[in-house]
Amino acid sequence: MTPRHLPPAIARLINIITWTENVLLIFMLALMVLLAATQILLRNFAHTSIDGADDLLRLLVLWVAFLGAVAASREGKHIHVDAVARWLPGRAKPLVNALTDLFTVGVCAMLAWESVRYVLASHVSGEMAFGRLPVWVAAIILPMAFVLIGLRYLLRLYHHARQALGMEGLE
Amino acid sequence: MLIVVGIVLILLALLGAPLFAVIGAAVLLNFWLEGTNLTVVPLEIYSLAEMPVLLAIPLFTFAGYLLAESGAPQRLVRITNVFFGWMPGGLAAVSLAICAMFTAFTGASGVTIVALGGLLYPALKQAGYPERYSLGLVTTSGSIGLLFAPSLPLILYGVVAQQLNVGRAVSISDLFLAGILPGVLIVVMLAVYGLWQRRGVVQARTPFSMREALGALRAAAWELPLPFVVLGGIYSGFFAVSEAAAVTAIYVFIVEVLIHREIRFTALPKLMRESMVLVGAILIVLGMSLASTNYLLDAEIPSRLLGYIRSHVHSALGFLLLLNLFLLALGMMLDIFSALVIMVPLILPIAVGYDINPVHLGIIFLANMEIAYLMPPMGMNLFIAMYRFDRPMLEIFRAVLPFVAILATAVLIITYWPGLSLALIRH
Repeated sequence: MTPRHLPPAIARLINIITWTENVLLIFMLALMVLLAATQILLRNFAHTSIDGADDLLRLLVLWVAFLGAVAASREGKHIHVDAVARWLPGRAKPLVNALTDLFTVGVCAMLAWESVRYVLASHVSGEMAFGRLPVWVAAIILPMAFVLIGLRYLLRLYHHARQALGMEGLE
Repeated sequence: MLIVVGIVLILLALLGAPLFAVIGAAVLLNFWLEGTNLTVVPLEIYSLAEMPVLLAIPLFTFAGYLLAESGAPQRLVRITNVFFGWMPGGLAAVSLAICAMFTAFTGASGVTIVALGGLLYPALKQAGYPERYSLGLVTTSGSIGLLFAPSLPLILYGVVAQQLNVGRAVSISDLFLAGILPGVLIVVMLAVYGLWQRRGVVQARTPFSMREALGALRAAAWELPLPFVVLGGIYSGFFAVSEAAAVTAIYVFIVEVLIHREIRFTALPKLMRESMVLVGAILIVLGMSLASTNYLLDAEIPSRLLGYIRSHVHSALGFLLLLNLFLLALGMMLDIFSALVIMVPLILPIAVGYDINPVHLGIIFLANMEIAYLMPPMGMNLFIAMYRFDRPMLEIFRAVLPFVAILATAVLIITYWPGLSLALIRH
């Protein structure tokens, strides 16, 4: 959902965030493909491997998945049941959308809060994910992603509510 | 009170709330009621980073998006036409085989309908197949192939089943082997139906041309080895699943982007993002369901359900029949990935209680989902086909009905003949 009807400063901020999310996602996927391929070549032809590459690949899956989930929130592409919403008439649709958006914002806020507590706890315990990478750094994608997903749904809520009130054209 | 909350959550899900949020809310609530520290939820989600096999999901998905975006579908169809177009029923049979292979590689059934359906539909009509049959075949094309390696649903079933520790190993390579014969059964049954459709049609078939054959072979020279390398590698045990995925991703990238140059570098970022949107949407639901599985096992819910169902359903056969009906209804509402991560943790322990092999259950589960995709009035492929081929819904319903009937027969055979799924697994 592109920012519309928003103050220019906020719209610009959203664009910057979107750009950063995209760059990070694409960079990490590229790194994943190259690293995984290099690892196989080395293993089969040189009978060696990069230290820690397998651990890093597993972690990249988590990061790519959550950055992908953030992108999915932007485009409303999370897995959902649309058997009912598909048939809703006119204004009822944005109203129902606004309701489910509000619910999603609430759940994301709680998940973000618990993730922050988890990250803080692992910072205190000083546990390592692998090598010299602490768990709190590896897991920081969780609170970040839930905050970003929550914000996207807040934005969707704003637009859907305006649509339901007739202040914006229907999608 | 708890029942009210449960109903509200189901209602929200039906109204279109994202499933990860619905499951997340249910998990948070249940752990909170138990008095468990809620950081267990992010802890469980973080365990996504501790499963090596998950690496296969982003890599295969990326490769699938590259393949679908490139000219590979056109080249596949060209080859099919040359080598099998002259045989009676050949085009239908090979269209089915190609669609199955393509779905297995791209993992998402919609992609097959969009990428291949649009090419096969006119080709089938041109070759003299009835309009209705052609429409039915391309709509069905999206669901066949889920049982063949390296389909994402098979991998995901393996991942979820391994989390459950049901006492029997569920390895992904066993699942890949188990899917072969049932998958072949479905393709063969549909192909025979295609042959029967063509009965009595006397029409000048495209004669076989050596020149065209060589041209088609040369055009697809780079893509042809791919299935052999990947499937051969996985089935022979040379590659782990995630390694095969890495090989596929880099190979497809080199062929389609660097050699054929059908995907521009400037188009790559969008394609990468779109493929990872699908991956993110699947894995965030999986993450939530890891947490909910943990809760379900803690609260011994599967074993209580088993006790309840056992007191009503006495035989494994009865249970399987109920399961078939249940999965069909479920598959119309949920897409295959959420159906897998939500229902397998509940169903698998019960099935094991009835002494059903977990690998066999996986094949039954996916075979049922293949039909559910097509089931009027709500199957997902019907809508995709409606948009793609621009046909009214009722016409598509009518076109797929015979296919649904054939698939249903196949599913019954697969369900009640475990040997078909388990024959290839060595013990």
